[in-house]
Amino acid sequence: MALVETRELTKTYDAGTVRALDGLTVTVDHGVVGLVGANGAGKSTLFRILLGLTEPDAGTVVVDGIDVATDPIGVRARLGFMPEHDCLPDDQSAADIVSTLGEIAGLAPRDARQRASDVLDLVGLDEARFRPVEGFSTGMRQRSKLAQAIVADPTLVLLDEPTAGLDPAGRQEMLDLVARLGRFGISVMMATHLLDDVQSTCDQVVMIDGGRLVGSGRTEDLLETTGVVRVDVGGHGARLVDELGAVATLLPDGSVELPAGDDRIDAVVDAVARAGLPLHALSSRRASLDGLFAITDRDVG
Amino acid sequence: MTASSATAPSGAVYDRGYRPFEGTLGGRRAARAAVYRASLRRAVGLRRSWRQKLFPWFLLAVASVPAVVWVGVAYITRGTPAEAVEIITYREYLGVSTALLVFVAFAAPDVLCPDRRHRTLPLYFARPLTGTDYAVAKVGAIATLVFAFSFLPQVVLYVGQLLVSDGAFEYFGNNLEVLWKIPVATVAFSAYFSLLACAIASLTTRRIIAAATLLILLLGSSGFAAGLSEASGASERPDGFQVELDEDGVEGDAPVGTGPNSTIAPGPILREYEDPSSAWGAVDLLDAPMHVRDLVFEGEVIEVYLAGVDGAGLLAVSVYLLVVMTSAGTLWWRYRWVEP
Amino acid sequence: MSVDTPVPGPTTSSSDPAFVTDPTVIVDDVSVWFGQKVALSELSCSFGAGVTGLLGPNGAGKTTLMRAVCGLLPPRQGSVSVLDVDPRRDRDIHARIAMVPEEDAVPVALSARALVRYQARLCGVRDRDAIDAALATVDLVDVADRRLGGFSKGMRQRAKIAAALVSEPSVLVLDEPLNGADPVQRLALIELFHRLGDEGRTVIVSSHVLHEVERLAERVVVVIRGRLAAAGERHAIRDAMADVPRRVRVRSDDDRALAAALIGHDAVVSVTVEAGPEPGTTGGVTVSTSSASELALALPVTAAGVGIRLREVLPLDDSLESVFTELTR
Repeated sequence: MALVETRELTKTYDAGTVRALDGLTVTVDHGVVGLVGANGAGKSTLFRILLGLTEPDAGTVVVDGIDVATDPIGVRARLGFMPEHDCLPDDQSAADIVSTLGEIAGLAPRDARQRASDVLDLVGLDEARFRPVEGFSTGMRQRSKLAQAIVADPTLVLLDEPTAGLDPAGRQEMLDLVARLGRFGISVMMATHLLDDVQSTCDQVVMIDGGRLVGSGRTEDLLETTGVVRVDVGGHGARLVDELGAVATLLPDGSVELPAGDDRIDAVVDAVARAGLPLHALSSRRASLDGLFAITDRDVG
Repeated sequence: MTASSATAPSGAVYDRGYRPFEGTLGGRRAARAAVYRASLRRAVGLRRSWRQKLFPWFLLAVASVPAVVWVGVAYITRGTPAEAVEIITYREYLGVSTALLVFVAFAAPDVLCPDRRHRTLPLYFARPLTGTDYAVAKVGAIATLVFAFSFLPQVVLYVGQLLVSDGAFEYFGNNLEVLWKIPVATVAFSAYFSLLACAIASLTTRRIIAAATLLILLLGSSGFAAGLSEASGASERPDGFQVELDEDGVEGDAPVGTGPNSTIAPGPILREYEDPSSAWGAVDLLDAPMHVRDLVFEGEVIEVYLAGVDGAGLLAVSVYLLVVMTSAGTLWWRYRWVEP
Repeated sequence: MSVDTPVPGPTTSSSDPAFVTDPTVIVDDVSVWFGQKVALSELSCSFGAGVTGLLGPNGAGKTTLMRAVCGLLPPRQGSVSVLDVDPRRDRDIHARIAMVPEEDAVPVALSARALVRYQARLCGVRDRDAIDAALATVDLVDVADRRLGGFSKGMRQRAKIAAALVSEPSVLVLDEPLNGADPVQRLALIELFHRLGDEGRTVIVSSHVLHEVERLAERVVVVIRGRLAAAGERHAIRDAMADVPRRVRVRSDDDRALAAALIGHDAVVSVTVEAGPEPGTTGGVTVSTSSASELALALPVTAAGVGIRLREVLPLDDSLESVFTELTR
């Protein structure tokens, strides 16, 4: 069963002038999914529809086999949500907040307390969990927000810009945490601007622009081939081009580019070995998803 | 190297850092109950600092103390000529004490405003909980407390009188109707103030503004009603003070003024003038539930201004229902959807 | 111009990469403390024309350093000079310096145009066109007259940048300018900063998104716990941490054989065979080496020697990310 399946999902605002979602059709499997798009591209609208807070104008969406239109409350029971903005009441402790929200999710009070303790352990909030949230750093707040999202053991957790405001170390910790959730069997849908986060942590990507799907699939596949091979031989690019002949081009940064193909790669490696040049890098895959996004965005216009 | 009877060593890893939840999740009802409980806890000060506990418990004490005092008076004066002094009636005691007004004015915002201010509402509604569930649970929590704070003193008064009277069963038999009148009136009373306070609190993110608005609205409308009633030429009364009559027609205060209708004489004094009455008394939002209370207890409106007006009962009930409906409508509108 | 490659930044002085030839901003032995907390400790570095990245964990002192550079707070010890002038003494220089802070505090009732106009007045800029030009630079002309309160975070950021640009500053200091911007806006802003750097302005950008700092600037200054931890070009910084082995991921048509062949080399510290997507398959070999250049020379030769065809060679910790992780360890 797919995790989320949408079909022709459409939602407009302001009497049709703003098309937040426009015939979005996509299937997403269990795992860690990156949801990428420009501001206003429809990411938050999609989250709202998944949570059953907004009704789409047209189309259907099914989460874990349940149609959101027929049973929004049932869908919510399977979801967890971590908003981007600050949403924790300052004067309560993290443990209290997570435990209360667990009860509101339907856990019995004793279970809620136990689960709250478990998830706070998981996100790495130790003694601090008993202090009021007021004094928390951004990293601790983000982790508390994540804890409340998973306290009721959801099937899918929706994260809205989970690494916003975190320094590199904090970002890495958060992304590691997200990856761990994936390994524990909790699916994650992460809305983010940072393609690097998606690349490092997500096994699937969904790219939307102007409410429409511009690309989706497994991250590995999207990074797969660019149609060219790039080689970095230190400062000796010119030398390599001489060896390889007309098929090779020397790029401004000193690397060499040729059309893709297994036999081409072999030829390059042979040439490099023959000339005694250092092979620093060799790849026919994209270095990052950036290029993909920029191109598709331009196509869509 | 192992003895033939030894079992093979075994081991297992039970916890890699996350245990899935094996139980069942409650639905909307459980969610509502959880919001209700959490709000109750917050208003009463549980799981919070001792300072937050002081406020509600102090108010409860203040509200209950008069009951204890009256019972004490009744006890001391029994069997003496002073027994004639009437103890406060249940009807009169179920009123808006300052303590209660202050409590609801601050408790309702405290339970509703922070959720909006800290933008916690999206977290609630990402759970099996609708806007109506949320509002019902919150109002329910406040109403429960207001009811408790109003009812407990009544219980103290009743039990006290029961114990102090000459014959408990006799007292019980003579005062049967009180047993349903008190709860009904208290419910009507609590519902009114909780709905109104919560509706106002739902309109703002600042607790102090909600509290001030409620107090100003109630006290202001009270003063407004008074002003309009006087201005519209209520019937004559002496200079000085108004007189309240209790059930036996015995005055509480003897008039000392020199107005045209006053008399000075010892002994029981017959009513010579009427309390001012005016339909404008209906505008008094603070007293609207009092009128309803009077209707429950006595079948007619007794309190000032509205008393004596034709159709006073109908007017009072209309105002009451208007406030209740508007408040409920406001709450429904404010929580019908939430930005995640 | 491709946004994948950073423009050459200020020319680093060969003797000490913390300093540049032709500096516009000189920070000399600066210490700042707030009560007991030491925010900056004896920090010395300089900045020049072009884009320099400023990195550091939260609370490390980056914001304090930026504010000291702009003359917004006095160093308790040491000195700051901007364009040969002390920004605390000479107030006029403030027209040539612009700072875009991280906090999202903008007057929400103003429009973008009003904000830029206000800033222009403050700096004594009279030219009406300057306001339009600034708004056009950040692509906010269409929405220039809408209230800032209705803007998304990324748009508010751009409005602040426009306000900073209107006075044509020589020194531009930006704290997390890409915060809240979507991928397309990010690329546009990176391009903008490149352009500003090319024009000869001194652009100092702080960001937590290290991949983007890599694209933005060749030269970085790393501040950790109030002290200067590293400075210069990131490849050079990485080389300077020679004691930490470099890791390279190699994919081939026979990973195990390659691993076996490589492990014999002096320069190879360790070899890990990675698991592949299906159980039983391999997904490449991660080689840890004490010398990236030696490994690069040995790799094609070794592979050819045992008849293995290489498919991919990827240096794993050439990034700022790994440099940063090492420094903050």
